[in-house]
Amino acid sequence: MKKTITRRVFIASTIVAGTALMLLPQGAKTTINIEPFKVIEAVQEVLFPKGLQAPAASEFGATNYLLTVSTHSSFWADDLTFLHYGATLLMKAEPNFFTLNPKDKNDVLKNFVNSNKKAENWVSLILYYTIEALLSDPMYGGNKSELGWKWLKHDTGQPRPKTKFVGTTPLCLSDAQ
Amino acid sequence: MKYDVCIIGSGAGASGVAYTLALAGKKVIMLERGGFYKEKDFSKDEVAYTKRDIITPNLKESYHTIEDLEDRKWVKTPTYVNESTFFNGNIVGGSSNFMSGYFHRLKPVDFKLKSTYGDIKGANVVDWVIDYHELEPYYEKVERLVGVSGEVTPYKYHEPRSTKDFPYPPLEEHPISRRIDKSCKTLGCVPYKTPRAILSQAKEERNTCYYSNYCGSYGCSSGAKGSARAALLQPALKTGNLTIITYTFVKKLLEKNSKVTEAIYVNTQTKEEHSIKAKLFVVAGQAVESSRLLLNSKSKNFPNGLANNSGQVGKNLLFSAGGVGSGQFDASSMPLKELMVEGLFVNRSLCDWYEIKGMKGGIVDFLFEHANPISKASKQRKENGKLLWGAALQEKIFKKLTATKQLNFEVFNDWLPTDNCFVSVDEKYKDIYGVPVANIRIGAHPHDLKVGRLLAEKAEAVLKNMGAKEINSSISSSPPPNLQAGGCRFGDDPKTSVLNKYCQAHEVENLFVSDGSFMPTGGSVTYTWTIYANSFRVGEYILKQLS
Repeated sequence: MKKTITRRVFIASTIVAGTALMLLPQGAKTTINIEPFKVIEAVQEVLFPKGLQAPAASEFGATNYLLTVSTHSSFWADDLTFLHYGATLLMKAEPNFFTLNPKDKNDVLKNFVNSNKKAENWVSLILYYTIEALLSDPMYGGNKSELGWKWLKHDTGQPRPKTKFVGTTPLCLSDAQ
Repeated sequence: MKYDVCIIGSGAGASGVAYTLALAGKKVIMLERGGFYKEKDFSKDEVAYTKRDIITPNLKESYHTIEDLEDRKWVKTPTYVNESTFFNGNIVGGSSNFMSGYFHRLKPVDFKLKSTYGDIKGANVVDWVIDYHELEPYYEKVERLVGVSGEVTPYKYHEPRSTKDFPYPPLEEHPISRRIDKSCKTLGCVPYKTPRAILSQAKEERNTCYYSNYCGSYGCSSGAKGSARAALLQPALKTGNLTIITYTFVKKLLEKNSKVTEAIYVNTQTKEEHSIKAKLFVVAGQAVESSRLLLNSKSKNFPNGLANNSGQVGKNLLFSAGGVGSGQFDASSMPLKELMVEGLFVNRSLCDWYEIKGMKGGIVDFLFEHANPISKASKQRKENGKLLWGAALQEKIFKKLTATKQLNFEVFNDWLPTDNCFVSVDEKYKDIYGVPVANIRIGAHPHDLKVGRLLAEKAEAVLKNMGAKEINSSISSSPPPNLQAGGCRFGDDPKTSVLNKYCQAHEVENLFVSDGSFMPTGGSVTYTWTIYANSFRVGEYILKQLS
């Protein structure tokens, strides 16, 4: 197989959204800033809503998956920085994003993406990690009840993983709120 | 303890030497940068194996700098900047654990490129110091010991064989293979049945292929794939003569009186430094890292790096030229029930253009897009350059994963050796162990693109004739990081080569380099079979020397 560089990650400056640090439950040793994940959760609801057959981001655990894997040592640190940074950008562009109805949220995101390349890259990165959550092994907290595989009639490869390489402690946004 | 031989690296180029020596009773110590994963440890975890650094060094720990031409200036960029890696599987068995196992031998013409086609301006083409017939017995040995399955397909440029057939019958094929055959016959070309280093029948403790549909990029859970670990190192370990130390990064080889005396290594888990003494040392860390080790092993006798008074170490690095292409198939091309069958192999290549328009040509391998659903679905995020989401994205993902299949092709032609493709080291860029990382200048010769495009046209014609949609190809001068060779070319002249014909350093008699570094030209196929074969050849020579 020829290997090509397929995913280039945008490097952003280290601006972190929010200031609310809190200790997560379940024995997590580090404090994690959950504010950006609240923004990302709201964005994921727009990007991957409940479809006729497709599961919604909230159903398959998209945000919890990202929370779990992004706090693991294997996660690309620059991606995490950029996820936080983009959340700040969106909140600056639309401080009332959380309170908007779904249609208005969709319109805000469209304008946001068209406003500059960083915004577009941020939404693209969230889409990527939403899809990773949809179709990764459920042991990492996404693809809950194999909803992603079932929707796409995908027979996953065997054997399935037993060792958690990319996210060891399952984290849940609602537990931290 | 002083070992007979210390081997640095454990991939295809290391394993043939280790197997030969261990079975002959020599005491061999092998130093591997990563861990020891066996069949039971592998899984089809797409995120872990294809999206994170679990089988390569973390880029903050070790990286390369890539030197690319920008506005007529060579500019160095560390690989951690754009999250790319030129490491390829740092576990016991190396990258052979993760190969797809498309196995092609070099052809006789690959050993005499210069005398056959003459000089190409700007390229450092030379003939090899051995010919095809000297390597043929070892190609055959690889078929038996590593395990190659297939069926011999006669065609114009087929290499001579000492045996009639492959030792293992062909793997089961997907229905689309018959359609490729039909298309090729209509176009007057030979549908070559691709040999694979994957067992179609059990062999000793290795089980047959179980058609998991997750092959390339993943370790094999049945042992069918002919990785260096499964095929050679596990049997060699059983002799009791081979010891493998994992999580070791070799920083430097020490030299005295033009002989290597010991290898200095650091345990990457404890960060403690150790050393190993041996009568003879074999370097096989894959081409880039092998050159790096020699260049970083400076001494009074070798101020420019071990075995490098010629200044040739790191020079004439090779990748594989060519590129990729694809076509889409859906229910309008063939019944969905047949098309969507998973796990079976395509196993077809085009080899009729190993010479093309009076030039050295190459080959094309056909294969389905890998199973990886995350990769397939995430590629649907954009349409006409615009991000898609919501129902439109969901519909596109659903169609892509449930009702279409992408038949890819990969073009392989010679990456001509030039002065602008080499490995060097620079004190400015160091890994966490304080050792200068390898800088890779990746300049390619324009001739490579010309040949690649001609081959891609042939492959596109086959797809078009099959009724594929959205046919496209991309021939690029970007190097595939997993297909490395050269950097320590072999030859008769110590002024223009690093190694002699047995891959022994001209200047250091107890030092050998047995990975793909020895290759002065790369041929137009993937390198693994040739690296395995040469490793057996070098192993036999070392055995004679030790005896």
